[in-house]
Amino acid sequence: MSADLPAPSQARGVIGLVASACTSCMICVRECPTWCITLDSHTEQVDEPGARRPRSVNVLDAFAIDYGLCMYCGICVEVCPFEALFWSPEYEYSEVRIADLLHDKTRLGQWFETVPDFEPLEAGSEVKVKKVPR
Amino acid sequence: MRTVDAGAWREEWAAARAAGAHYFDFLTAVDRGDRLEVVAHAVDLGTMDRVLLGTSVPTRGGRLDSISPLFAGAAWHEREAAEMFGITFAGHPDPRPLLLRASEGAPPLLKSTVLAARVAVAWPGAAEPEVRDDGRRTGNPSRRRQRPPGAPDDWLEEGP
Repeated sequence: MSADLPAPSQARGVIGLVASACTSCMICVRECPTWCITLDSHTEQVDEPGARRPRSVNVLDAFAIDYGLCMYCGICVEVCPFEALFWSPEYEYSEVRIADLLHDKTRLGQWFETVPDFEPLEAGSEVKVKKVPR
Repeated sequence: MRTVDAGAWREEWAAARAAGAHYFDFLTAVDRGDRLEVVAHAVDLGTMDRVLLGTSVPTRGGRLDSISPLFAGAAWHEREAAEMFGITFAGHPDPRPLLLRASEGAPPLLKSTVLAARVAVAWPGAAEPEVRDDGRRTGNPSRRRQRPPGAPDDWLEEGP
């Protein structure tokens, strides 16, 4: 972030992904009004000691947000039931080529590193339960 | 807002203008399904009295008398409403399209008009995490296929 122009910590700059928290449930992809999120996953059978049958686990193969389409509504961040998506105030990622606005899983994971802790809200307002995983 | 008869639209505005509402603010339309609601607003700058009139025309083939002969500033608004909602403004002094390149094709702001981008691009939400590479579903096979929220039932039919 530019040192002379810091954005407020709760600004909607870019969305960060915690890939390990994502269960590939597709809710963010389906709720996105601009269809800017793509997700690819596959199911693996995991044998667990003591379990009678192997458990099916969704493995996230690819996750991308096209910032050329995103309208920064934040619905994906709101609907994620597994706290895998977070707003970061970082905003400097303009590109010469529009195709480069497609941020993949790795890049979105890097953005998550820039997510600040939530600031305490004003007295009397509802306590935000979402906690930034560290 | 006062609702008036579509047939009395120009007379009502002529009366409002004669009463002092010289400043034309806006004219726009809303798709209410079977009817298009047309709304216009003008102000009497001396008294700051506002006139907000609404009327309705059929969604398909709606016609309304142009008020551009009364308010020159309404010409652009009517041209925009004409191309976006498919309304014909009778007596418009310059009915060329305002923003769109051609007047052909469905009026883009009608709710029945399907966005071209929504047809050309596959919905990313159609992918199912529980469909395995061999095509077999590991989840509940009776579950209905997901559809994009807000999309009418009769379009975006499933591909192959």
